[in-house]
Amino acid sequence: MNWYHALLAPGLFANPSVQEAAVVGALVAAVCGPVGMFTVMRSQSFAGHALADIASTGGSGALLLGLSPLLGFVVFGVTASGTMEMVGTHRRQGRDLVTGIVLGASLGLSALFLYLTATSQTTTGAAVTILFGSIFAVTSSTVWFAVGVGGAALVLLGLLYRPLLVSSVNPELAAAQGIPVRLVGLAHMVALALAVALSALTIGAILSTALLIGPAAAALYLTRSPGRAMVMASGVSLVVTWIGVALAYDSYDWLPSHQGWPVSFFVVLLVLATYALARVAVWRRVGPRRRKAVPAGAGWRGER
Amino acid sequence: MSGRSLPNRRSYAAPGGRPASPAPGGRPDRPDRPTRPGLASSGHCALRARSARLAPLATMAALIVLVSWCGPAGASLSRASTGSAGKIEAVGAENQYADVISQVGGRYVSVQSVINNPNADPHSFEASTSVAEEVSRAQLVVQNGLGYDAFMGKIEASSPNAKRQVLVVQDLLKVPSSAFNPHLWYDPGTMPKVAQAVAVALAKLEPSRSAYFKANAKRFDDSLKPWLSAIARFKAHYRGIPVAVTEPVGDYLLQAMGVRVLTPKSLQLAVMNGTDPSPQDISTQDHLISSRQVRLVVYNAQVTNNLTGTFLANAKKAGVPVVAVYETMPTPGYDYQTWMVAEVRAIQKAVLNKVSTLRF
Repeated sequence: MNWYHALLAPGLFANPSVQEAAVVGALVAAVCGPVGMFTVMRSQSFAGHALADIASTGGSGALLLGLSPLLGFVVFGVTASGTMEMVGTHRRQGRDLVTGIVLGASLGLSALFLYLTATSQTTTGAAVTILFGSIFAVTSSTVWFAVGVGGAALVLLGLLYRPLLVSSVNPELAAAQGIPVRLVGLAHMVALALAVALSALTIGAILSTALLIGPAAAALYLTRSPGRAMVMASGVSLVVTWIGVALAYDSYDWLPSHQGWPVSFFVVLLVLATYALARVAVWRRVGPRRRKAVPAGAGWRGER
Repeated sequence: MSGRSLPNRRSYAAPGGRPASPAPGGRPDRPDRPTRPGLASSGHCALRARSARLAPLATMAALIVLVSWCGPAGASLSRASTGSAGKIEAVGAENQYADVISQVGGRYVSVQSVINNPNADPHSFEASTSVAEEVSRAQLVVQNGLGYDAFMGKIEASSPNAKRQVLVVQDLLKVPSSAFNPHLWYDPGTMPKVAQAVAVALAKLEPSRSAYFKANAKRFDDSLKPWLSAIARFKAHYRGIPVAVTEPVGDYLLQAMGVRVLTPKSLQLAVMNGTDPSPQDISTQDHLISSRQVRLVVYNAQVTNNLTGTFLANAKKAGVPVVAVYETMPTPGYDYQTWMVAEVRAIQKAVLNKVSTLRF
């Protein structure tokens, strides 16, 4: 009995499911940090949520066809991101209406696909897997697929880092410099779709934006340097995911029925707590009077 | 007493399509459902008239209308009221109960089953309106209870019928509602009681045939003897051997056969209920299988996910045999007795010769 067993249930680090969850969590965190930061800077968190809902349609459809849900998340998310950028999310007028209605319809389709899966196939727990995630039941082939998806998102961001940053901070300036703002925006939406797909794998489609937006928003409260914000956001994502996994593991012993609580619940709760802490920290540093001016995201968010 | 195939069986669980046409000896054909004129086209046009920007929306709306059009609605189904001339109409919520009703009722009973798709997970079954209609007409209903077929109670409540007799197997066996395993039909003590109760209920509905029903119930009891003696023989030789399961479906039979189920209850529950499994339980189960601590893995072929697939692959790698068990009677080719004998035989073969049976 080691000292840390008072805090962590024994066997945590030796458990293969936990190890795999830790690897997947680290991968997702590495992608979510940078993508999340750009998403918050560009005030596109609602678009992220839209992608998550549409991805759930893909995930449930893939499950119905007997494919990996991650494949469905990726295909539907990337397609939708392209369409959303083409249709023109730059037009503010009516954008939220169209998005909202399409979202409702896509969640409705997920409901249909999940119903069909439940009534026509032996697959159990489809709804929980798609909507709320099942990180402990991720298969090793999915892990490699996830590594590929995450790598693609990071490479995309790496290649476009400079133009994406400039066009996120000030689109007019970016256009004047000859940066293809629309194309860069499209690339960001694709990266966002990939990050949403990965996040959906760990905490489910419905909750996936929490891991994407929350840590990045907290980081942008605390620092104005984009590089530092990305690292901080990834770090926060990593820590909340790992603590979430550890708590879920721990919760096995909380009730005599030995039915552990879901990872996604802990992760989302920790994201909320982190964000609240970041706001409190800023509030304490600069005082209530000036706090409106401080949110770092707002400082260089390109107002259109 | 053939009782092997149910009259007029339909796969209610088949989604998206209309119910199959009645089998020979069934009821007259249903009239086609009335068409709903103009719903799809008017909705589509109205949307298209707006602007091209809304095209994806219109497509989606059209898709949804289309899907709901061919969906399993069927509220407008109608049916001649006196279909099966003079027969008692009965419903078994699961096809194994329908089979027992059919064996006891013989030629005087027309039986329907609600859950009978071997490729679907019954735990997530949702009743369609045509099921509601069957139940509302039925004079005798047999259902499992323990929340397994909770939709039956709802349907019965919504179509009250003073003459309808409802047998809840849970109540027949006096199983407390807190019981963790709802798969009562695998318990060797269950079906004799069900057959008895069905005979009594049918006799109440048609007192002149009372002796016939009673004789059939007796014959059903007798026909279970090969199964019961197979269980006893197995228990005498292999009492206490360790097994792993993916889900509690076969646990009552395994208990009767005297084997020890080493898989944690919480894992069985997580798979059954489709919740996120605990990592502790996954590694316990993985260890049981890959270190060959168990002699066989009993696998619910009707409740599967990634995880049960992994357990199966591990068993194959470790050379541990696997035997499939079912939530509903596998059809065609089996009645309740032959199905149960086949299960025991498959388990015996697995223990004795390390032979897997993945499909019945």
